[in-house]
Amino acid sequence: MLNTLIEAFALISTWEVIIAMLAASIYGLVIGSLPGLSATMATALLVPVTFYLSPIAAIATIVAASSMAIFSGDIPGALLRIPGTPASAAYADEAYAMTRKGEAELALGAGVWFSAVGGIAGTLSLMILAPPLAEIALSFSTFEYFWLAFLGLMCATLVARSSPVKAIAGMFIGLLVSCVGIENPGGVPRFTFGLTDLFGGIEPIPALVGVFAVAQVMRAMLTPEPPPIPRRKFGSIMAGQWRLTGKYRWQMTRGNIVGIIIGVLPGAGADMAAWVSYAMSKRFSKEPEKFGTGHVEGLIEAGASNNASVASGWVPSLLFGIPGDTIAAIAIGVLYMKGLNPGPTLFTEKASSMYAIYLMFIIANILMIPLGIVMIRLASHVLRAPRSTVMPVIMLCCAVGSFAIGNNMFGVVTVATFGIIGYVMEANGYPVAAMVLGIVMGTMVEQAFVTSLIKSDGSILPFFERPISAILATMAIGALIWPVLLWLWRRLRRGSPAPATSAR
Amino acid sequence: MRLPDQVTGSFLVGLGLAAAYGGWLLPPVPGQPIGPNVFPLVIGTGLALCGLAIVFGIGHTFEEEEEIIPIEAGRAQAPTGKLYGLRALLPPALLLFYVAAAERLGFIITAALVVYATATALGARWRLSLPLAVLAPIGIHLIFSKLLRVPLPAGLLPMPW
Repeated sequence: MLNTLIEAFALISTWEVIIAMLAASIYGLVIGSLPGLSATMATALLVPVTFYLSPIAAIATIVAASSMAIFSGDIPGALLRIPGTPASAAYADEAYAMTRKGEAELALGAGVWFSAVGGIAGTLSLMILAPPLAEIALSFSTFEYFWLAFLGLMCATLVARSSPVKAIAGMFIGLLVSCVGIENPGGVPRFTFGLTDLFGGIEPIPALVGVFAVAQVMRAMLTPEPPPIPRRKFGSIMAGQWRLTGKYRWQMTRGNIVGIIIGVLPGAGADMAAWVSYAMSKRFSKEPEKFGTGHVEGLIEAGASNNASVASGWVPSLLFGIPGDTIAAIAIGVLYMKGLNPGPTLFTEKASSMYAIYLMFIIANILMIPLGIVMIRLASHVLRAPRSTVMPVIMLCCAVGSFAIGNNMFGVVTVATFGIIGYVMEANGYPVAAMVLGIVMGTMVEQAFVTSLIKSDGSILPFFERPISAILATMAIGALIWPVLLWLWRRLRRGSPAPATSAR
Repeated sequence: MRLPDQVTGSFLVGLGLAAAYGGWLLPPVPGQPIGPNVFPLVIGTGLALCGLAIVFGIGHTFEEEEEIIPIEAGRAQAPTGKLYGLRALLPPALLLFYVAAAERLGFIITAALVVYATATALGARWRLSLPLAVLAPIGIHLIFSKLLRVPLPAGLLPMPW
């Protein structure tokens, strides 16, 4: 054990690894903070670079870039209400509301501090809990996956500050969008209207960029320029974080744990971790009415959650070659390329390499604090730039970023279309976040749903028979019924206000 | 663009029914009762039901009016003309223009036009929007084409790098 640890230290203390990590960290911070460029895209673009590096340095770049990008997605979310990565989408509104209240330092400081804590917690889970957790997830069949995805989708209605019916409608629209293409159980072109560009389906990232970025530029066209933000230097970014850690330690721990669990589960990554944790934070908060008005609590829990999931997403990847999220899916490709084939034997035969990965995760998350503070100070210049210079550059980033995802002009058309859809939906009280979740998770939901139905010969009974499946089903149905109960309760209370007051 | 709930709800009913019908028309997998048609059927039905609920105003009480930041005294109110609302369509229109023109004109020229139009529409004077239209495309080109190797179209004005 000690020998392996020393070996691991020797592996990572070469100049190649150190420089690769620093460069990848800066790269990840910049890409993550550019709206429309997700952490997954940052990682994917790194793959060609890793061809020229040693195995450990190659993994170092991926570890560093993905962790940094997930954090720095919080920066434009807080300053511009445009999440830099989908993982920050759950709480971009909240962070932006804090900035408007003049608490930008607190929001961004909470982002960097709780991201680092979350990342380290995720790494600890990777080290300690990897085998047993992976075993639990392994015993899941498509029935459990279906309920898990369903639960994730129901979260969209819980985070919404709107009518739950409209949130569910938005979710269905998103699922409908994910139906497009030939990637379905029959492999037939579905809802493609004869357009070859639609055969591959609608890419989630251009759709996200459209809904969050283009729609924002569209709104800017109609609203008067907001009052200029007073010229001020950022105060201490880390000030008060220690106090917040003490005050919200339970929320932080819960965020870490939820992030770890969601990261381990295949297919669900940082974005879902953030959504679930934000919804959880709101539901269990002592002051839920403050959510959406610039309250730091949800930010802490979701920020701690999404970074924890990045590290724990590697658990099933390393053990079984099953990607925990899209970043891990790319990482698996690099692992194979570098002769570190995933499997349980990796932990015995290449133990020093595994320890090197743990160490790199911890170093990357510690490095995140100083580099993140520098990045925040640089990025905050965006606040002082007039809107008429920021928005055109955002437009260009939208066009080029969505083109870059598939080197395909159709991505730009998708961005424009979803800009309009997002704008109209938001203007009419339909939460776009619910639609986004539907788009991102649609394929997974359908696969789990259809495979389960085929296995059960069309019967829905097996969906409730397996023990874990039954637990997840109860939770999911509870989440579905919750708004109905709330509505009935409000109805009853409003219908008979007199007895309610006399009873007190 | 605030439409009455009845309008958006009816639209969703139509969309849901169309999706369900479209899913129903899909060919099933031979010898398999469940194919690509099941999911759109479920989604379409759900969407249509939600649309109906919205038409009848169920869940409306949950909606919170978005708190609008009060415009300070002395600031100009947004002009409200009939065509004013159409300005919102400018960004998507510019993106479609980019799709149509980028191959022929090249990235730099198309991007410069997009930047100039967006900046001007947001109220920038030519002294600001003109240099921005020159510098922003070059900067973006440097990052994406040089650093990230995105094959941006060269067109009429290829960059020297």
